This record gives sequence, C-alpha cells and structure tokens, in this order.
Amino acid sequence: MSGVWIYADKYEQGLELLTAGRGLADMLGMKLTALVSGDINRAQDFITRGADEVLLLPPLAENQPVQDYVPIMADEARDADPDVFLIAASLKGKEMAARIAARLDTALCSESSLMNIDDNGKLRMERLMYGGAAIQTVSISSRPQMATIPPRSYEAAQIQSDRQGSIKTLTLPEPSGMQVMERKGKDQASGDIITARIIVCAGRGIENQEDLAMVRELAEILGGEVACTRPISEEKHWMTEESCIGLSAKEVKPALYLGIGVSGQIQHVVGIREAGIICAVNSDENAPIFESADYGITGDLYQIIPALIEEFKK
Amino acid sequence: MPNIVCCFKWVVDEAYIKPSSSGKIDLEWAEYKLSDYDRNAIEEAVQLQERYGGNVTAVTVASSDATKGIKDALSRGPEKAYFINDDQFENLEPSQTSAILAKVIGNQIDYDLIICGEGSSDMYSQQVGPRLAEKLGIPCIAFVNQLSIEDKRIIAERKTDDGVEVISASLPVLVTVLPDINSPRVPGLKDTLAASKKPVIEIDLEDLGVEYERLLIDEGLRAASLERNCTQFGDGPEDIKAFAEAIRKTGVIDRG
Ligand SMILES: Cc1cc2nc3c(=O)[nH]c(=O)nc-3n(C[C@H](O)[C@H](O)[C@H](O)COP(=O)(O)OP(=O)(O)OC[C@H]3O[C@@H](n4cnc5c(N)ncnc54)[C@H](O)[C@@H]3O)c2cc1C
Repeated sequence: MSGVWIYADKYEQGLELLTAGRGLADMLGMKLTALVSGDINRAQDFITRGADEVLLLPPLAENQPVQDYVPIMADEARDADPDVFLIAASLKGKEMAARIAARLDTALCSESSLMNIDDNGKLRMERLMYGGAAIQTVSISSRPQMATIPPRSYEAAQIQSDRQGSIKTLTLPEPSGMQVMERKGKDQASGDIITARIIVCAGRGIENQEDLAMVRELAEILGGEVACTRPISEEKHWMTEESCIGLSAKEVKPALYLGIGVSGQIQHVVGIREAGIICAVNSDENAPIFESADYGITGDLYQIIPALIEEFKK
Repeated sequence: MPNIVCCFKWVVDEAYIKPSSSGKIDLEWAEYKLSDYDRNAIEEAVQLQERYGGNVTAVTVASSDATKGIKDALSRGPEKAYFINDDQFENLEPSQTSAILAKVIGNQIDYDLIICGEGSSDMYSQQVGPRLAEKLGIPCIAFVNQLSIEDKRIIAERKTDDGVEVISASLPVLVTVLPDINSPRVPGLKDTLAASKKPVIEIDLEDLGVEYERLLIDEGLRAASLERNCTQFGDGPEDIKAFAEAIRKTGVIDRG
C-alpha cells in the first residue's frame, strides 16, 4: 500500500495539513488519507477540501484525553503502511506523533519547516537545531516517513466542487486509564502578535510587573502589540504564553520589532527573523540582540522608554 | 515511596555556536552544558523525593565525553546515575536514544515515575520522553507544569494549546516537564564534592547487546544567519531622537 496520511487534533490545522498532504500526494501520485475526529459531516468536509479517504475517529468520552487515539492510529498505520504521515505540531500533536512513531519503529522529523521530494520519491525535510542557530536537512530511511508540521506553514484547504472520497469509521479505542479531571481555558489574550505590524517586546530587563505599563504605552503610541520573551511568560507569568515569541512559542513577522530589555538569545531571535526592522534597547552593549538588530540603543530602559514615549508622541 | 528516574542530556551550549564564514557550523570551541529543561526534570525528581520519600536515579545516554555531565547531574541531588556511554553514541537520533533508555530502564531500574525535560536544548525534537513511555508501555503525560502523587496516582497539570488539562493516571507514568514547573537549584561546592562520591553505573554498547540503527538520516547542516548590520545609538537625548527618527524614516510607523 502507499499513500500520504495526515492528522491534526485541531480543525484549522487539519485544513492546513490537507493543503500540505494534497501537494505531496499529487507529486507522488498517491492517495491522501485524513484521520479526522468528529462526525460524518466533518469527514465529508475533509473530502470536499482534498482528502481521498477519511478514517473517522469516533468521539471520546468527556474525561478521555485525545492521546487515547494513539493506539488505533498506530494500528491502522501499521496495516495500511502509508509512505508519509504528517501530524500537526500542536502540543498534543507533537506528543502523539512521537508515540505513534515509536509504535511503528520509524523516525520522525519534528517541526519540519520545509518539505521537498527527491529523485527517489523520498522526503527531504529541514528543521531548526541549536535553538535556531542551524538548519538541519534530514531524510527518513524507515516507513512511514513521519513529520510534525508547525501551525500556519500552509494555507487552509478550500472547498472544491464534486470531490468524491471514501469514509471508514474506526472503532473506539480502549480507554488508556488516563483521565482528564479538569480542563481550563486560557485567559483571553489581548492582541494577536501573529498579525501585528508593530511589536514591542518585553524582556527580563524589566524589573517589575507594573513597569509593563510603560511598555504598553509605547506600543499603543506606535499602534502595535506587546509581546514578551519566555521568562516573562513562563517564569514570571506577567503575560500569557500567547504573547511569547520564539522557538518554543510563536514566530512573528511584524514590519517593526522593538525589544526592550531583551538579551537576544538565539531561541528568541529565531522567532523574529522575518521581521522587517529589528530595534533593541539594552543596557549591555555586548547583548547578542544587537547582532540581530538594525537599530539599537545602549542604555537603561527606565530612562530610554519614557524618552521614546515622549519622542513618538510628537 | 516512589522510585523516581530522571533522564538528562549533555549538550553543546548553543551560546558558543557561531557560523563560520563558509556557512558551516563551527563546534570546535563549543562548551557543553546540562540541557536546560533537563535541569527542571532533575529538580522536579528531587523535590518530589523531598515530599514523598523514595529515591532518585539520573540516567543519560551519551558518548564518553559526557563524564562531566554525570557529575553535574549528581550535584543537583540524585543519589546515583546510570551512564550509558559508548563512542558510537555520538549524535544519536530520538528513536535510538529512547530505545537504549528503554532497554536499560526497563531491565535494570525500578521505577514508578520517569521525568524527562520537554525537549533538549540542542535538537529540541521533543520526542525522547513520549517514545520512551511507549517503549516501556506506560502512560505518558507531556508538557507538565505541576505534579503531585496521591495514592499511587500521579496528578499532573499539563499545558495544551487551549489552556491546561489536569490529568490523573496510575503509576508507573512518564512525564515531560516544562521550564516553569520549578526553579532548578544552583549546585554549590559541597554538592559538587558530594556528587563525586555517588555511585555511577556504566553501561556500554556491548552490555546492551543490541545495535540501534539510525532511521533519521542527517543530510546536511548549515548555519542560519540571523545577523544584521546594527546602527548603534547612545542614551543621550540627541541619540534617542536620532534613534526614533531612524525608525520613522523606514516608514514602518503608521502614526506619529
Ligand atoms: C529549548 C529552549 C527553547 C526556548 N524557547 C524560547 C522561546 O520560544 N522564546 C524565548 O523568548 N526564549 C526561549 N528560550 C529561552 C532563551 O534561551 C532565553 O533564556 C530568553 O529568551 C531570555 O529572555 P530575556 O531576553 O527576556 O532575558 P535575559 O536573557 O535575562 O535578558 C535580559 C536582558 O535585559 C537587559 N537589561 C537588564 N536591565 C536592563 C535595563 N535596566 N535597561 C536595559 N536593558 C536591561 C540585560 O542586559 C539582558 O540582556 C528557550 C530556551 C531553550 C533552552
């Protein structure tokens, strides 16, 4: 058997993988199979948007984690023996992909940023390593060739007219014994840093939570959004992880990025490499952020930010 | 009382990585370090032991160069270490590392709870923990930021893309931890001295008796240049004005 398989635990990312998977399937002359959780309408939707076949995962009990799909997904893949299996790189997806790969004794390229097909019909993929300082090219010698795909790497697949496909409903997996006792949503994030044209980014150089007000004011005057580094969201919890930029958070593409008290470690900077103009304020003239910046001020942010606010008010 | 195992990796410190002029990565001057989030894994193991008793074993798979890493890990509190090392264990990929760990942990170590970092600082593939759980046939809870043990069950709060989930599962369990789960202690001189007296069990490829084939094939590595040409300004009033003016001139600001 041959084919390209896709799975995403979130609908939107499922549509992105339809685009990625359809492209590969066409190049390889193969069938595209989507693993979809939900009902028949959802399955039909995936077919109209590009899948040739849907393997429908029946709904889980309320207290069952989505990871309970791992055993049947692996069993189905073992039977059908697809060439390629792509999984959306959500947090759950990354865990599920690694576990499925282990069950299938195959390799997995984590967060592949680029996929090509070589002369032998094999995938060649790129991914970041050393925190973003290097790009590694990999291929996979085992079957299926697995990869996780970061969100927003592909456009969402659109509805096409008269597409036909088959739907196979899988049997509900045995509960793993792992129970979800509680689910808590996250605080509503203020603004969306992914689409922001201007971003002012708060780093650990900011000493107190109250001082974020100053950063917010500057962002407001510039008509931008406030973002942060990982220590601000994960250690200090002053902002949500929705606002965090970098390797383990979000990649952004603003026209202007202004880092305030950000040291510019590679894992952060890799998230702003597509920014138009990068500016930084840092008291340490040797801070690595200056190597990645277009304009920099060496100085105390507590003196510079109020002055910049005055300056940009004009 | 739980037997706790924590896994760690000795990695190149990415702060020392500089692209050479040819676009290759130059590791000649690289320093090594205990992978950042594995420090959280070790710390969590030690903190749980402080709360619930039991014991903590640290495990790594590496080439023999990682001897310093063993000492570093032991100085953070575990009472013994398994050093699975062989010169062929250079640059292992996740399927190999997890299979080797599973073989040793599964056959030689009593465990109720295995703790890994969410991902290593060098590769950040985030695979070894979940793969190890599968190889051992135990539940996996990834991206955990809070942990407790109640009546042979683990209660873990894990991060998801939508918020958090509180998960309960009966031991044995493997968890991977996020950096915000704790603040790793900084070992003092006393801890470092104590570490050198702790038992280290060494295992090599021959002891394992199995070869682990590489399935993720390295097809090349190149430096990702993030460098830009920075125009620097000082902190005087004129400098700040000039800095703001330079930004304005690029036309990226709508208002102002
Ligand atoms: C696997 C892995 C993944 C990671 N992923 C991410 C990620 O996605 N995003 C992320 O951000 N980080 C990430 N990190 C962490 C990253 O390595 C850095 O630790 C982090 O980006 C540093 O944040 P920071 O610049 O705010 O803090 P610091 O590095 O502490 O820098 C603070 C800076 O503020 C300056 N400063 C202090 N006081 C003042 C003042 N008064 N005026 C002006 N400047 C001042 C200092 O000179 C310093 O440069 C990751 C790390 C690892 C290992």
